[in-house]
Amino acid sequence: MKPLHLNLAARPFRDYRPVYAAVVVMALLTAFLALNNVDTLLRYRTETRTTRANIDKLEGQIADEQSHTEALTQRLRGVDLKLLSSQTEFANTQLAERAFSWSELLDRLERVLPSDVRLQSVTPAFEKDGLVHLSMTCLAKTGDGLTATINRFNGDAHFANAFPTSVNLQSGEYRFTLGVDYRPSIARSVE
Amino acid sequence: MIWREKRLLLIILGVLLLANTVFFFTYRVQYVSRIEDLDGRQEQTKARLQQAHRTRTTAEQQLAAYKQVQNDLQILYNERWSTPMLRLTALIDEVRRLAAASHLEPPSYQFSNSETKNNSTRGSVGTTSVGIAFNVQGTYEQVRRLINLLELSDQFVIIDGISLASNGSTTDKTLTLNIRLKTLFRDTRVNAPIANKQL
Repeated sequence: MKPLHLNLAARPFRDYRPVYAAVVVMALLTAFLALNNVDTLLRYRTETRTTRANIDKLEGQIADEQSHTEALTQRLRGVDLKLLSSQTEFANTQLAERAFSWSELLDRLERVLPSDVRLQSVTPAFEKDGLVHLSMTCLAKTGDGLTATINRFNGDAHFANAFPTSVNLQSGEYRFTLGVDYRPSIARSVE
Repeated sequence: MIWREKRLLLIILGVLLLANTVFFFTYRVQYVSRIEDLDGRQEQTKARLQQAHRTRTTAEQQLAAYKQVQNDLQILYNERWSTPMLRLTALIDEVRRLAAASHLEPPSYQFSNSETKNNSTRGSVGTTSVGIAFNVQGTYEQVRRLINLLELSDQFVIIDGISLASNGSTTDKTLTLNIRLKTLFRDTRVNAPIANKQL
C-alpha cells in the first residue's frame, strides 16, 4: 500500500523566525541609537547655544576691529613719514640747542679749568646721543697748561674724550685748541 | 533563501543602523571632546579678537602720535619760529634790551640769513636761519648775566658760540665777548610743510 503524503499547504513552508528576529534586533538597535542621537543633537545645540552665540558675536567684533584697523592703516599710508621724520629730527636738534644751558657749562668750566688757563672761545656741536662736543680755544701761561687741562677734564664725570688739536706759543702765552665731549645735567637726545 | 526574500528590508535597516552607529560614535561618544573643541574655538576667537584689538589700538596710537607730532611741529613752525615779518624786529629789540639789562652796549651787530638744511636728509625743512653776532665789552659777571638772560628769553634764540678775550693787563677785568646768536624762522617762500596737511 502506497503511503499517503498529507500536505495541504499552498506554498512551501519557510521558517522566517531568524529573519524576523534579526529585523527586530536591528530595528530596536536603530531606534535606540536614533533616539540617543537626536537627544545628543538637541542637547549639543542647547548646551552650546551660548557658546556659539558668543563665537558669532566675537567674529562680528573681529570684523569691526579689522575694518577700523584698515581705515586707520589707509590714513597712516597718507602720512609723509620721511618729511615728518626729517622735520622732527631737525626740530629736536634745534630744541636741544635752545635748551642747552651755557650758564651750567660756564660754571663747570670755571671749576674744571686750571687756574692759569683762560677760555678764549667755545663752540658746541650737538650729538644725537645727548652729548655735546665742545671745540675750545684756551690760553695758558705755561707749557703745562694743555696737559693740565686734559687731566682736569679726564677727572670730571661731565667731560670725556678730551683731545688736543694744536698748541702754539704766541706772545709769551700758549694758545691751544682741543675738543671734548660734554654731558649736560639734562642731556637731550635729538633722535 | 529566506534572507534574500527580505533583503530590501534588511538593507534599509542595515543602512539606518550603520548611519546611526556612525553618528553615535562620531558625536555621542566624543560629545565631551566636541564641547571642549567648541570652548577651545571660543577661546581662540577671543584671542583673535584681542589681537585685532591690539592691532587697532597700535594703529590708533601711531596715528595719534603722528597727529601730536604734526601739531607740535605746527606750533613750533607757526608760533615759536613764525616769520621774519612777525618776529625779527621783536627779536632784535629783545637782544638789545637784554644787553642793556646787563649794562652792556654792543657797538655793532652783524646779521646773516640762510636757508636751513637738515644734515641727515640734506633737504629743506622749511626754515631760514638768521644769525646775529655782536661784540660787547664788560666784566665777566656782566657777560654771564647777558648769557643767562638770553637763555631765559621767551624768544627762540640759540647761543651758537661765544669767544672771550681779555683786554691785556692783568688788573683790567674787562673782557670782550663775541657772541653768535641764531634763530629760526618759518620759510615764507614755501608752505610750512606740515602745517597745511591734516591727517
